[in-house]
Amino acid sequence: MNRHQHDPSCDEALDLLEAYVDGDLSADEVARLRSHLEGCAACAAELELATRIQSELRALPELDCPPEVLEKVRRAGRGEVVPFVPRPRSMGLRIAAAAAMLTLTLGGGALFLRLQAQPDSPSPQEIAQATQEAKIALAYIGKVTRRTSTDLREDVLQKRLIEPAARGVSRSLGGTQQSEKEH
Amino acid sequence: MLTAFEDTAQRYRSRVYSFARYLLSNREEAEDVTQEVLLRLWRHQQGVDEERLGAWLLRVTRNACYDLLRKRRSDGTLAASSSLDDDEAREVASTEPDPQALAEGSDFRRRLMAALSDLGEPYKSIVILREVQGLPHREIGEALGIPEVTVRVHLHRGRRKLRERLREPMREVPQP
Repeated sequence: MNRHQHDPSCDEALDLLEAYVDGDLSADEVARLRSHLEGCAACAAELELATRIQSELRALPELDCPPEVLEKVRRAGRGEVVPFVPRPRSMGLRIAAAAAMLTLTLGGGALFLRLQAQPDSPSPQEIAQATQEAKIALAYIGKVTRRTSTDLREDVLQKRLIEPAARGVSRSLGGTQQSEKEH
Repeated sequence: MLTAFEDTAQRYRSRVYSFARYLLSNREEAEDVTQEVLLRLWRHQQGVDEERLGAWLLRVTRNACYDLLRKRRSDGTLAASSSLDDDEAREVASTEPDPQALAEGSDFRRRLMAALSDLGEPYKSIVILREVQGLPHREIGEALGIPEVTVRVHLHRGRRKLRERLREPMREVPQP
């Protein structure tokens, strides 16, 4: 090992070993290195170690990504691609939505309290009744929404069409009366 | 039918995960990094050139791993690295039939993985990408933003550092 450490040709050989393992040396460099390796057991051992390290590294497998990682990305990505953008709502629709929420909350709360009060599981009749009540609540929400929508349409019709038209007629009539007065 | 994202994610997910896991030596953190990288791919898939996609993914992966490693250092925490070492040592050693060779091979591999784990940057990334993942020098250079010739130089230095580290215990063995 002492000879290996103090021999300048050993230092040069050690510098070339990795490039030699990769096949990056010129033919001349390969010939000089091989010549040195034939007479130097320490450098030959270094070459053996370098070769082994490379082959061990290359034997390490590409590790499989667990499928749940991709599934998490899909779920997160779907949430991003279709973002929730709240639409601007009129006061009427806000009131309707609030009413619907209140109905559902009160109805659900009443049902929950009723179920809590009875330790046994509900009878089929009670389930049928609860279902019926839920349907009525949903029908009511639909009715409120439809009514609000109709009200809104009528409101728009009134404000955008009827009132401007009436103002226009009134203005023209007023103008005619004014001119008649002037005359 | 697979969407463009699905196709790309299926193609690159193991490359990303593998790189992260060898860099971090930690399964959970590698999964987190892979998820983060693929999510970035989802967001930016329209803006990434198809030809440079592989390099882009590796660069993003490396940056995400760096962030984690920096956080580890600042927190003073050290992630458990046993999962990778033991798993890999067993998996590769199982191909060797002779018990003595298997034991020696396993020990060598364990020391090699420890040396790789301690290797500094950019040597560690380059050794993993080239030797473990088998990527061409050009693609590694693109991913790391350095010339191909620099990749070769760093690769040789990195492997030499591993060699120096692995040689040390051999010297301690008394010669008859």
